[in-house]
Amino acid sequence: MSTRTNGSGSNYEYVTARVRSRRAKLFDEDDYRKLIRMGPGEIARFMEESEYEEAMNALGARYSGVDLIEHALHRNLANHFDDLLRFAEGRLYDYIARYLRQFDAWNIKTVMRGIYSDAEREAVETDLIRAGEFSERRIERLLGAESIEAVIDVLADTMFGDALADAYGEYEERAVLVPLENAVDRAFYETLITGLPDEPSRATQLYIDFLEAEIDFRNIENALRLSRSGADVDPAEYYIGGGRLFDEEELGALVANTDELVSRLRESTYGDDLDAALSELESAEGLSGVERALNRALLEYSRTLSNRYPLSVCPVFAYVLAKMREVDNVRAIARGKEAGLDPETIEEELVMV
Amino acid sequence: MIGLELTAAFIDAMVLLQQGGPAITGTGVAALAVGLAGFGAGYAERGIGAAAIGALAEDSISFGIALVLTVLPETIVLLTLVTLFLQ
Repeated sequence: MSTRTNGSGSNYEYVTARVRSRRAKLFDEDDYRKLIRMGPGEIARFMEESEYEEAMNALGARYSGVDLIEHALHRNLANHFDDLLRFAEGRLYDYIARYLRQFDAWNIKTVMRGIYSDAEREAVETDLIRAGEFSERRIERLLGAESIEAVIDVLADTMFGDALADAYGEYEERAVLVPLENAVDRAFYETLITGLPDEPSRATQLYIDFLEAEIDFRNIENALRLSRSGADVDPAEYYIGGGRLFDEEELGALVANTDELVSRLRESTYGDDLDAALSELESAEGLSGVERALNRALLEYSRTLSNRYPLSVCPVFAYVLAKMREVDNVRAIARGKEAGLDPETIEEELVMV
Repeated sequence: MIGLELTAAFIDAMVLLQQGGPAITGTGVAALAVGLAGFGAGYAERGIGAAAIGALAEDSISFGIALVLTVLPETIVLLTLVTLFLQ
Protein backbone atom coordinates (compact mmCIF):
# COMPACT_ATOMS: atom_id res chain seq x y z
CA MET A 1 0.00 0.00 0.00
CA SER A 2 2.11 2.87 -1.17
CA THR A 3 0.66 6.12 -2.32
CA ARG A 4 0.24 6.39 -6.08
CA THR A 5 0.26 9.93 -7.29
CA ASN A 6 0.38 9.48 -11.02
CA GLY A 7 -3.06 7.90 -11.20
CA SER A 8 -5.50 9.47 -13.59
CA GLY A 9 -9.13 9.97 -12.64
CA SER A 10 -10.64 9.12 -9.30
CA ASN A 11 -13.78 7.01 -9.13
CA TYR A 12 -15.70 9.00 -6.55
CA GLU A 13 -19.11 7.79 -7.74
CA TYR A 14 -18.35 4.12 -7.21
CA VAL A 15 -16.56 4.50 -3.90
CA THR A 16 -19.08 6.87 -2.33
CA ALA A 17 -22.01 4.66 -3.40
CA ARG A 18 -20.40 1.67 -1.69
CA VAL A 19 -19.36 3.63 1.36
CA ARG A 20 -22.80 5.16 1.81
CA SER A 21 -24.59 1.86 1.69
CA ARG A 22 -22.06 0.43 4.14
CA ARG A 23 -22.68 3.30 6.45
CA ALA A 24 -26.38 2.63 6.33
CA LYS A 25 -25.64 -0.86 7.64
CA LEU A 26 -23.84 0.32 10.78
CA PHE A 27 -25.60 -0.32 14.09
CA ASP A 28 -28.20 2.32 14.89
CA GLU A 29 -29.54 3.52 18.18
CA ASP A 30 -32.05 0.66 18.45
CA ASP A 31 -29.32 -1.92 17.93
CA TYR A 32 -27.22 -0.35 20.65
CA ARG A 33 -30.20 -0.31 22.99
CA LYS A 34 -30.67 -4.02 22.36
CA LEU A 35 -26.95 -4.73 22.81
CA ILE A 36 -26.84 -2.89 26.13
CA ARG A 37 -29.44 -5.25 27.53
CA MET A 38 -27.63 -8.42 26.43
CA GLY A 39 -24.99 -10.51 28.14
CA PRO A 40 -21.60 -11.14 26.47
CA GLY A 41 -22.80 -14.44 24.98
CA GLU A 42 -25.87 -12.82 23.46
CA ILE A 43 -23.81 -9.97 22.08
CA ALA A 44 -21.60 -12.54 20.33
CA ARG A 45 -24.68 -14.22 18.85
CA PHE A 46 -26.13 -10.88 17.77
CA MET A 47 -22.87 -10.10 15.99
CA GLU A 48 -22.87 -13.47 14.26
CA GLU A 49 -26.15 -12.51 12.66
CA SER A 50 -24.90 -9.12 11.50
CA GLU A 51 -22.07 -7.60 9.47
CA TYR A 52 -19.54 -9.39 11.66
CA GLU A 53 -20.63 -12.91 10.74
CA GLU A 54 -17.55 -13.70 8.68
CA ALA A 55 -15.04 -12.44 11.22
CA MET A 56 -16.86 -14.14 14.10
CA ASN A 57 -16.87 -17.50 12.30
CA ALA A 58 -13.23 -17.22 11.27
CA LEU A 59 -12.04 -16.44 14.78
CA GLY A 60 -14.57 -18.47 16.75
CA ALA A 61 -12.28 -21.47 17.14
CA ARG A 62 -9.36 -19.47 18.49
CA TYR A 63 -10.96 -17.08 20.93
CA SER A 64 -14.03 -16.93 23.09
CA GLY A 65 -16.09 -14.48 25.08
CA VAL A 66 -15.27 -10.81 24.98
CA ASP A 67 -11.86 -11.50 23.39
CA LEU A 68 -13.66 -13.03 20.43
CA ILE A 69 -15.86 -9.96 20.10
CA GLU A 70 -12.87 -7.65 20.24
CA HIS A 71 -10.86 -9.64 17.70
CA ALA A 72 -13.84 -9.85 15.37
CA LEU A 73 -14.41 -6.11 15.61
CA HIS A 74 -10.82 -5.36 14.73
CA ARG A 75 -10.67 -7.85 11.89
CA ASN A 76 -13.91 -6.58 10.41
CA LEU A 77 -12.65 -2.99 10.66
CA ALA A 78 -9.40 -3.90 8.91
CA ASN A 79 -11.29 -5.75 6.16
CA HIS A 80 -13.57 -2.81 5.51
CA PHE A 81 -10.72 -0.36 5.29
CA ASP A 82 -8.71 -2.65 3.02
CA ASP A 83 -11.81 -2.74 0.82
CA LEU A 84 -11.80 1.04 0.60
CA LEU A 85 -8.28 0.91 -0.82
CA ARG A 86 -9.26 -1.85 -3.19
CA PHE A 87 -12.15 0.25 -4.57
CA ALA A 88 -10.40 3.55 -4.90
CA GLU A 89 -8.36 4.74 -7.85
CA GLY A 90 -6.23 7.73 -8.68
CA ARG A 91 -6.02 10.61 -6.25
CA LEU A 92 -8.81 9.23 -4.11
CA TYR A 93 -6.65 6.17 -3.39
CA ASP A 94 -3.83 8.45 -2.36
CA TYR A 95 -6.04 10.38 0.08
CA ILE A 96 -7.47 7.25 1.67
CA ALA A 97 -4.05 5.59 1.96
CA ARG A 98 -2.65 8.64 3.71
CA TYR A 99 -5.60 8.75 6.09
CA LEU A 100 -5.44 5.06 6.96
CA ARG A 101 -1.87 5.41 8.11
CA GLN A 102 -3.40 6.52 11.40
CA PHE A 103 -3.66 2.80 12.16
CA ASP A 104 0.10 2.45 11.74
CA ALA A 105 0.45 5.26 14.26
CA TRP A 106 -2.06 3.51 16.52
CA ASN A 107 -0.19 0.20 16.26
CA ILE A 108 3.16 1.77 17.04
CA LYS A 109 1.74 3.49 20.10
CA THR A 110 0.07 0.28 21.26
CA VAL A 111 3.30 -1.71 20.93
CA MET A 112 5.30 0.94 22.75
CA ARG A 113 2.75 1.10 25.57
CA GLY A 114 2.82 -2.68 25.79
CA ILE A 115 6.59 -2.73 26.17
CA TYR A 116 6.50 0.15 28.62
CA SER A 117 3.98 -1.61 30.85
CA ASP A 118 5.46 -5.13 30.36
CA ALA A 119 2.23 -6.41 28.86
CA GLU A 120 1.87 -9.89 27.38
CA ARG A 121 2.40 -10.22 23.65
CA GLU A 122 -1.14 -11.59 23.21
CA ALA A 123 -2.67 -8.65 25.03
CA VAL A 124 -0.86 -6.23 22.72
CA GLU A 125 -1.77 -8.23 19.64
CA THR A 126 -5.49 -7.99 20.49
CA ASP A 127 -5.34 -4.23 20.34
CA LEU A 128 -3.58 -3.95 16.99
CA ILE A 129 -5.62 -2.92 13.98
CA ARG A 130 -4.10 -4.23 10.78
CA ALA A 131 -5.55 -1.64 8.45
CA GLY A 132 -2.54 0.55 7.83
CA GLU A 133 0.40 0.44 5.48
CA PHE A 134 2.66 -1.83 7.54
CA SER A 135 3.08 -5.35 6.23
CA GLU A 136 2.38 -8.41 8.36
CA ARG A 137 6.14 -8.96 8.62
CA ARG A 138 6.79 -5.53 10.01
CA ILE A 139 3.99 -5.95 12.54
CA GLU A 140 5.48 -9.31 13.57
CA ARG A 141 8.84 -7.64 14.07
CA LEU A 142 7.21 -4.86 16.07
CA LEU A 143 5.50 -7.41 18.30
CA GLY A 144 8.77 -9.28 18.72
CA ALA A 145 10.68 -6.17 19.76
CA GLU A 146 11.94 -6.39 23.32
CA SER A 147 12.64 -2.74 23.99
CA ILE A 148 11.56 0.71 22.84
CA GLU A 149 14.91 1.04 21.12
CA ALA A 150 14.23 -2.10 19.10
CA VAL A 151 10.84 -0.69 18.05
CA ILE A 152 12.53 2.46 16.78
CA ASP A 153 15.04 0.32 14.87
CA VAL A 154 12.24 -1.60 13.17
CA LEU A 155 10.65 1.69 12.12
CA ALA A 156 13.85 3.37 10.95
CA ASP A 157 12.93 3.22 7.26
CA THR A 158 9.34 4.43 7.66
CA MET A 159 8.01 7.96 7.85
CA PHE A 160 7.98 7.67 11.65
CA GLY A 161 11.71 6.83 11.82
CA ASP A 162 13.27 10.27 12.04
CA ALA A 163 10.70 11.73 14.39
CA LEU A 164 11.04 8.76 16.76
CA ALA A 165 14.83 8.86 16.71
CA ASP A 166 14.71 12.54 17.62
CA ALA A 167 12.31 11.97 20.48
CA TYR A 168 14.23 9.00 21.90
CA GLY A 169 16.70 11.20 23.78
CA GLU A 170 13.92 12.89 25.66
CA TYR A 171 12.32 9.55 26.45
CA GLU A 172 15.56 8.30 27.99
CA GLU A 173 15.89 11.45 30.02
CA ARG A 174 12.38 11.55 31.47
CA ALA A 175 11.35 7.88 31.17
CA VAL A 176 7.83 8.77 30.01
CA LEU A 177 6.25 7.77 26.71
CA VAL A 178 4.63 11.14 25.97
CA PRO A 179 7.44 12.51 23.74
CA LEU A 180 7.48 9.33 21.62
CA GLU A 181 3.70 9.24 21.28
CA ASN A 182 3.59 12.88 20.29
CA ALA A 183 6.35 12.25 17.74
CA VAL A 184 4.26 9.48 16.16
CA ASP A 185 1.11 11.62 16.09
CA ARG A 186 2.89 14.58 14.60
CA ALA A 187 4.65 12.48 11.96
CA PHE A 188 1.24 11.14 10.96
CA TYR A 189 -0.58 14.47 10.81
CA GLU A 190 2.29 16.22 9.07
CA THR A 191 2.48 13.69 6.22
CA LEU A 192 -1.29 13.94 5.80
CA ILE A 193 -1.14 17.41 4.36
CA THR A 194 2.37 17.66 2.92
CA GLY A 195 3.20 16.80 -0.64
CA LEU A 196 -0.13 17.91 -2.08
CA PRO A 197 -0.23 20.08 -5.21
CA ASP A 198 0.50 23.78 -4.66
CA GLU A 199 -2.68 24.93 -6.29
CA PRO A 200 -5.20 22.52 -4.88
CA SER A 201 -8.09 21.42 -7.05
CA ARG A 202 -11.58 21.39 -5.60
CA ALA A 203 -11.22 17.74 -4.53
CA THR A 204 -7.88 18.34 -2.84
CA GLN A 205 -9.27 21.41 -1.11
CA LEU A 206 -12.10 19.34 0.37
CA TYR A 207 -9.60 16.73 1.57
CA ILE A 208 -7.62 19.47 3.26
CA ASP A 209 -10.77 21.01 4.76
CA PHE A 210 -11.81 17.72 6.30
CA LEU A 211 -8.41 17.09 7.83
CA GLU A 212 -8.10 20.62 9.14
CA ALA A 213 -11.40 20.12 10.91
CA GLU A 214 -10.14 16.88 12.41
CA ILE A 215 -6.88 18.46 13.55
CA ASP A 216 -8.87 21.32 15.10
CA PHE A 217 -10.95 18.83 17.06
CA ARG A 218 -7.82 17.05 18.28
CA ASN A 219 -6.36 20.36 19.39
CA ILE A 220 -9.60 21.35 21.13
CA GLU A 221 -9.63 18.02 22.95
CA ASN A 222 -6.04 18.42 24.09
CA ALA A 223 -6.59 22.03 25.07
CA LEU A 224 -9.65 21.18 27.15
CA ARG A 225 -7.85 18.29 28.82
CA LEU A 226 -4.84 20.40 29.70
CA SER A 227 -6.94 23.30 30.82
CA ARG A 228 -9.11 21.09 33.03
CA SER A 229 -6.32 19.07 34.55
CA GLY A 230 -4.42 22.20 35.47
CA ALA A 231 -1.21 20.24 35.00
CA ASP A 232 1.94 22.16 34.47
CA VAL A 233 2.65 20.91 30.96
CA ASP A 234 3.75 22.95 28.03
CA PRO A 235 0.69 23.02 25.68
CA ALA A 236 3.02 23.31 22.69
CA GLU A 237 4.06 19.73 23.36
CA TYR A 238 0.59 18.54 22.44
CA TYR A 239 -0.09 20.97 19.65
CA ILE A 240 -0.65 19.52 16.18
CA GLY A 241 0.15 21.87 13.33
CA GLY A 242 -2.07 22.39 10.30
CA GLY A 243 -5.40 23.23 11.90
CA ARG A 244 -7.41 26.33 11.13
CA LEU A 245 -8.56 27.32 14.58
CA PHE A 246 -5.48 27.97 16.66
CA ASP A 247 -1.83 28.58 16.16
CA GLU A 248 0.66 27.35 18.69
CA GLU A 249 1.02 30.50 20.78
CA GLU A 250 -2.66 31.20 20.86
CA LEU A 251 -3.39 27.73 22.15
CA GLY A 252 -0.80 28.17 24.86
CA ALA A 253 -2.49 31.37 26.05
CA LEU A 254 -6.00 29.91 25.89
CA VAL A 255 -5.17 26.79 27.90
CA ALA A 256 -4.38 28.98 30.88
CA ASN A 257 -7.82 30.59 30.71
CA THR A 258 -10.73 28.15 30.36
CA ASP A 259 -13.46 30.80 30.05
CA GLU A 260 -11.69 32.50 27.20
CA LEU A 261 -11.12 29.15 25.50
CA VAL A 262 -14.83 28.33 25.72
CA SER A 263 -15.97 31.69 24.37
CA ARG A 264 -13.45 31.42 21.57
CA LEU A 265 -14.82 27.98 20.64
CA ARG A 266 -18.40 29.26 20.71
CA GLU A 267 -17.54 31.91 18.16
CA SER A 268 -15.66 29.52 15.85
CA THR A 269 -17.02 27.79 12.74
CA TYR A 270 -17.78 24.75 14.85
CA GLY A 271 -19.80 26.77 17.39
CA ASP A 272 -23.14 25.11 16.59
CA ASP A 273 -21.69 21.61 16.53
CA LEU A 274 -19.78 22.17 19.73
CA ASP A 275 -22.69 23.65 21.62
CA ALA A 276 -23.55 20.42 23.43
CA ALA A 277 -19.92 19.75 24.30
CA LEU A 278 -19.42 23.23 25.71
CA SER A 279 -22.56 23.15 27.84
CA GLU A 280 -21.41 19.79 29.11
CA LEU A 281 -18.08 21.38 30.00
CA GLU A 282 -19.80 24.05 32.07
CA SER A 283 -21.98 21.62 33.95
CA ALA A 284 -20.01 18.38 34.13
CA GLU A 285 -17.55 17.39 36.75
CA GLY A 286 -15.34 15.07 34.72
CA LEU A 287 -13.93 15.41 31.26
CA SER A 288 -15.18 12.16 29.79
CA GLY A 289 -18.62 13.64 29.07
CA VAL A 290 -17.00 16.51 27.23
CA GLU A 291 -14.82 14.17 25.19
CA ARG A 292 -17.84 12.16 24.13
CA ALA A 293 -19.68 15.33 23.22
CA LEU A 294 -16.64 16.41 21.19
CA ASN A 295 -16.56 13.08 19.40
CA ARG A 296 -20.24 13.39 18.63
CA ALA A 297 -19.67 16.90 17.32
CA LEU A 298 -16.87 15.67 15.04
CA LEU A 299 -19.11 12.88 13.72
CA GLU A 300 -21.92 15.32 13.07
CA TYR A 301 -19.61 17.76 11.35
CA SER A 302 -18.20 15.00 9.17
CA ARG A 303 -21.74 13.98 8.26
CA THR A 304 -22.59 17.57 7.33
CA LEU A 305 -19.53 17.77 5.11
CA SER A 306 -20.33 14.47 3.42
CA ASN A 307 -23.90 15.56 2.69
CA ARG A 308 -22.76 18.91 1.40
CA TYR A 309 -20.11 17.46 -0.91
CA PRO A 310 -21.38 14.02 -1.97
CA LEU A 311 -18.79 13.42 -4.66
CA SER A 312 -15.65 13.98 -2.67
CA VAL A 313 -13.41 12.29 -0.16
CA CYS A 314 -15.65 13.51 2.70
CA PRO A 315 -18.19 10.64 2.69
CA VAL A 316 -15.32 8.15 2.79
CA PHE A 317 -13.68 9.76 5.80
CA ALA A 318 -17.05 10.22 7.49
CA TYR A 319 -17.59 6.48 7.08
CA VAL A 320 -14.15 5.70 8.50
CA LEU A 321 -14.93 7.83 11.56
CA ALA A 322 -18.40 6.31 11.99
CA LYS A 323 -17.09 2.76 11.67
CA MET A 324 -14.35 3.39 14.22
CA ARG A 325 -16.95 4.81 16.56
CA GLU A 326 -19.10 1.70 16.15
CA VAL A 327 -16.19 -0.55 17.01
CA ASP A 328 -15.45 1.54 20.11
CA ASN A 329 -19.10 1.44 21.14
CA VAL A 330 -19.53 -2.30 20.77
CA ARG A 331 -16.27 -2.89 22.61
CA ALA A 332 -17.38 -0.57 25.41
CA ILE A 333 -20.65 -2.48 25.71
CA ALA A 334 -18.94 -5.89 25.73
CA ARG A 335 -16.25 -4.87 28.20
CA GLY A 336 -18.78 -3.03 30.35
CA LYS A 337 -20.99 -6.11 30.50
CA GLU A 338 -18.02 -8.27 31.38
CA ALA A 339 -17.18 -5.94 34.24
CA GLY A 340 -20.79 -6.06 35.42
CA LEU A 341 -21.72 -2.42 34.84
CA ASP A 342 -25.40 -1.58 34.73
CA PRO A 343 -27.03 -0.61 31.40
CA GLU A 344 -27.42 3.09 32.26
CA THR A 345 -23.70 3.51 32.97
CA ILE A 346 -22.79 1.78 29.72
CA GLU A 347 -25.26 3.86 27.74
CA GLU A 348 -23.60 7.00 29.03
CA GLU A 349 -20.28 5.77 27.65
CA LEU A 350 -21.57 5.40 24.10
CA VAL A 351 -21.29 7.96 21.35
CA MET A 352 -24.38 7.85 19.19
CA VAL A 353 -25.38 10.23 16.46
CA MET B 1 -11.03 7.27 -47.68
CA ILE B 2 -12.43 9.35 -44.81
CA GLY B 3 -10.13 12.21 -45.73
CA LEU B 4 -11.48 12.14 -49.23
CA GLU B 5 -15.09 12.17 -48.07
CA LEU B 6 -14.41 15.01 -45.63
CA THR B 7 -12.79 17.02 -48.40
CA ALA B 8 -15.79 16.35 -50.61
CA ALA B 9 -18.18 17.41 -47.85
CA PHE B 10 -16.11 20.53 -47.21
CA ILE B 11 -16.16 21.43 -50.89
CA ASP B 12 -19.91 20.86 -50.94
CA ALA B 13 -20.33 23.25 -48.03
CA MET B 14 -18.07 25.80 -49.72
CA VAL B 15 -20.10 25.55 -52.91
CA LEU B 16 -23.33 26.00 -50.95
CA LEU B 17 -21.89 29.07 -49.19
CA GLN B 18 -20.75 30.60 -52.47
CA GLN B 19 -24.20 30.09 -53.87
CA GLY B 20 -25.61 32.03 -50.91
CA GLY B 21 -27.09 28.95 -49.18
CA PRO B 22 -26.67 28.02 -45.48
CA ALA B 23 -23.38 26.44 -44.33
CA ILE B 24 -25.21 23.51 -42.85
CA THR B 25 -28.60 22.13 -43.65
CA GLY B 26 -31.49 21.70 -41.23
CA THR B 27 -31.02 17.95 -41.17
CA GLY B 28 -27.35 18.48 -40.44
CA VAL B 29 -28.09 20.66 -37.41
CA ALA B 30 -30.66 18.15 -36.12
CA ALA B 31 -28.12 15.35 -36.50
CA LEU B 32 -25.59 17.43 -34.60
CA ALA B 33 -28.13 17.99 -31.81
CA VAL B 34 -28.80 14.27 -31.49
CA GLY B 35 -25.09 13.53 -31.49
CA LEU B 36 -24.28 16.09 -28.80
CA ALA B 37 -27.18 14.89 -26.65
CA GLY B 38 -25.83 11.35 -26.97
CA PHE B 39 -22.45 12.57 -25.87
CA GLY B 40 -23.96 14.29 -22.82
CA ALA B 41 -26.05 11.26 -21.94
CA GLY B 42 -22.97 9.05 -22.15
CA TYR B 43 -21.06 11.31 -19.79
CA ALA B 44 -23.93 11.35 -17.29
CA GLU B 45 -24.35 7.58 -17.48
CA ARG B 46 -20.68 7.06 -16.72
CA GLY B 47 -21.08 8.51 -13.24
CA ILE B 48 -24.50 7.06 -12.55
CA GLY B 49 -23.46 3.63 -13.81
CA ALA B 50 -20.41 3.56 -11.54
CA ALA B 51 -22.51 4.56 -8.53
CA ALA B 52 -25.26 2.08 -9.43
CA ILE B 53 -22.77 -0.79 -9.69
CA GLY B 54 -21.30 0.25 -6.37
CA ALA B 55 -24.69 0.21 -4.68
CA LEU B 56 -25.59 -3.04 -6.42
CA ALA B 57 -22.41 -4.69 -5.16
CA GLU B 58 -23.43 -3.75 -1.62
CA ASP B 59 -26.87 -5.30 -2.18
CA SER B 60 -28.60 -2.09 -1.23
CA ILE B 61 -30.65 -1.67 -4.42
CA SER B 62 -32.18 -4.12 -6.88
CA PHE B 63 -30.89 -4.68 -10.39
CA GLY B 64 -34.05 -3.12 -11.86
CA ILE B 65 -33.56 0.14 -10.01
CA ALA B 66 -29.86 0.23 -10.94
CA LEU B 67 -30.79 -0.24 -14.61
CA VAL B 68 -33.49 2.45 -14.58
CA LEU B 69 -31.21 4.96 -12.87
CA THR B 70 -28.38 4.22 -15.27
CA VAL B 71 -30.39 4.74 -18.46
CA LEU B 72 -32.35 7.74 -17.16
CA PRO B 73 -30.15 10.29 -19.01
CA GLU B 74 -31.00 8.43 -22.20
CA THR B 75 -34.33 10.32 -22.18
CA ILE B 76 -32.53 13.46 -23.30
CA VAL B 77 -31.44 11.67 -26.48
CA LEU B 78 -35.02 10.60 -27.13
CA LEU B 79 -36.16 14.18 -26.70
CA THR B 80 -33.60 15.48 -29.15
CA LEU B 81 -34.97 13.08 -31.75
CA VAL B 82 -37.90 15.53 -31.89
CA THR B 83 -35.59 17.95 -33.69
CA LEU B 84 -35.41 15.51 -36.61
CA PHE B 85 -39.16 15.88 -37.14
CA LEU B 86 -39.30 19.63 -36.48
CA GLN B 87 -36.60 20.73 -38.90
